[in-house]
Amino acid sequence: MIVSIIAALLVIAISYAVLRTIVISIFGGNKHSSWLRKQLPLWETKEIINAEQSGAIRQLYRMDDERQKSKTDAVKIILIIGAIFLGAGVIFLVAANWRKIPAHIRTINLLLMTIATLFAGYYFSYEKQGHPLLGKSLLFLASVFWGSSVILICQIYNIPSSDNWLIVLLWALPVLPVAYFFNNRYVFLLASVLLIIWNFLYSHSANAANYYYPVLVFCLILPMAFKLGAWANINILGLLAASFSCCFVEYHWQYSWLAIFISSGLLGYYLIKKEEKYFSAASLSFIAWQIVCFNATAVKRANFYFLIPLAALFFFTYRDKLKKSLCINIFSAILWFHLVVYPYSKVFNDKYNGITALVIQLSIGVILYLIGMSHSESKKYFAPLYKSIGFATVAGCAYLLSFKKMLIGNAGFEHKFFFIICLALIAAAVLLLILLLCTKPPQTKFFKMELICLSAVFSGSLFILFFPLLASINTVIMNTIIFLLAVISIFYGMGIRSAEVFNSGIVIFVLLVITRYVDIFWELTEKSWFFIAAGLFMLIGGAYLEKQRKKVIEKWSAE
Amino acid sequence: MSRKNIIFGIAGLWLVLALGLIGYKQRILATGIKVVLETVPVDPRDFLRGDYVILRYKISSLSGIPGKSNFKRGDRVYVKLEPAGEYREAESALSAAESAPWRAVAMKAKNEIERGDVVIKGKIRRSGVVKYGIESYFVPEGKGREIEKSMAGRSKVAVEVIVDKHGNGIINKLFIDGRAVQL
Repeated sequence: MIVSIIAALLVIAISYAVLRTIVISIFGGNKHSSWLRKQLPLWETKEIINAEQSGAIRQLYRMDDERQKSKTDAVKIILIIGAIFLGAGVIFLVAANWRKIPAHIRTINLLLMTIATLFAGYYFSYEKQGHPLLGKSLLFLASVFWGSSVILICQIYNIPSSDNWLIVLLWALPVLPVAYFFNNRYVFLLASVLLIIWNFLYSHSANAANYYYPVLVFCLILPMAFKLGAWANINILGLLAASFSCCFVEYHWQYSWLAIFISSGLLGYYLIKKEEKYFSAASLSFIAWQIVCFNATAVKRANFYFLIPLAALFFFTYRDKLKKSLCINIFSAILWFHLVVYPYSKVFNDKYNGITALVIQLSIGVILYLIGMSHSESKKYFAPLYKSIGFATVAGCAYLLSFKKMLIGNAGFEHKFFFIICLALIAAAVLLLILLLCTKPPQTKFFKMELICLSAVFSGSLFILFFPLLASINTVIMNTIIFLLAVISIFYGMGIRSAEVFNSGIVIFVLLVITRYVDIFWELTEKSWFFIAAGLFMLIGGAYLEKQRKKVIEKWSAE
Repeated sequence: MSRKNIIFGIAGLWLVLALGLIGYKQRILATGIKVVLETVPVDPRDFLRGDYVILRYKISSLSGIPGKSNFKRGDRVYVKLEPAGEYREAESALSAAESAPWRAVAMKAKNEIERGDVVIKGKIRRSGVVKYGIESYFVPEGKGREIEKSMAGRSKVAVEVIVDKHGNGIINKLFIDGRAVQL
């Protein structure tokens, strides 16, 4: 057991190192400053800059601080890992329940050790100069020892595991003053994680939604996170976990209101802090609310009231130009539409099967793309986003519809309610396109490319709707549409010089080729030859595509 | 407030909480009534506190409590207990009063408890299970398996629980065939 815990801690440490490397490689880290650090003495010797200017540059980019920081970072990690190991060791010693020492002696010893470590942490942090990191680690260790003391007391009195939430709460809350008054981020992280665990243990034990957790986070933990300047995100994740966990429990009205309560709280924080992450989290929590309410009223009735909060979320998204949140809210709106339509499968005795849902989704994708195209100049900020989501939706649905087995398996498409819904959506998309053509006549060749794609998608959708039994023809049509989307994306990307569009075209093309290769040759050939041929084909094809892609992108950069 | 005062305040808070928890439990042990409940043990492992034995009682099931009730899931209930006959082995060190197993005679709401009633507080969980907070008995690491082996083939396993006047219960001892388990 202990070995596995040590292994887990090592995995955490390694993950941290890997994550740090990835973050540095993505965001650049201090690569530029290390280059500058090497260059500055050179410039000084060549008298390009003088010592004073060199010093000013160092100060501007805080290069001396950075070097200091990287050293303290390593020490900090060693000290914290040491504290974690020591704390874990004491917890396992407690867990071993060694009865040779009487319970009261064990309790007194552990409590004294906890208090002594707390004072030692204070002493090294503030009284003795030069050991602030050791002090912080000892304060963290004292917080872990405090948890061990609570566990020991609960063990002595046989408090059942169903009340583990009480232990975790008694551990987390009393260590918060240490985090707050001594600016200890590690203790705050410990308390935050413990409170997330407490939320789940309490909900499970009490069979009820835990409203205390969001109240605690909104009123106490998040303000503390702002004061300490750390770990707000982990608490937001905790709130989201609380929201989404409501989707997986046996329904009770309390659970549905918990998700919207969390969403409202996060929205409140967004209005105060004006940071998009709060709004995105509120939008995600709203999705959880939709799912919980759907589970509660499944197949009974469609819920149109959700349009009100959804409209409010879109209002804020547009007002404050929140791109990430718009993605989430578009997904939320699509989900709402499916959840509204689904209950009618029982009312009209119509199947809401794979093809129906996919054609509906395909039409929604087209509408989203058209919304992107029709965005006015003032709202141009969001146009590419709508287009990207619409394009990805259409490509994804067309890809799924390109499998013959899928089309054969779900071919019982009757001309009932969902057929009308599909037609209505396609009609709406066509109307939108006509409106667009009236306001913006197709002048550029890129616009014409988009029109070709849209026409192909319209025709394919209508054909599949009216002739669902012709699976072979539908497969050919959908494959042709994907091929067309890939080719046009490549040319369109080259035309507008967008690496994203160009790359997405290549990705779709490669995906199509691989899928069809697997479809055709998997059953026909010996598996070894199948993999060898596929591997060679991909290596050669990939190298060729990479070469072409680089050429095009380099050409754009040169121009 | 200076940092020194704060550190003293935190240390004081921790001590008060720890001693408060101990005091609360000790008060029940010192002033409560000893009742013996027959159990059926299982052996799992708690993720926080080492080995322990899960205990199921006859009164853990709603069907094991006589009388009709209107209680539903999530309700707090008070189960009235009374001694039921002799439960003693010749070598047992227990007194007759202590060793008699107790049985449930009624399930009550808080306002229905009468003076002199010995009750244990529980909560109704899913599928008619009542939890009293006395379902875990902690043993030293590795001892759980040993105890389980010694239980094999024995018919009478019981637990001495101490309950206060409010119905809060704490496990005091575990008995196998009338003998207290020595840990």
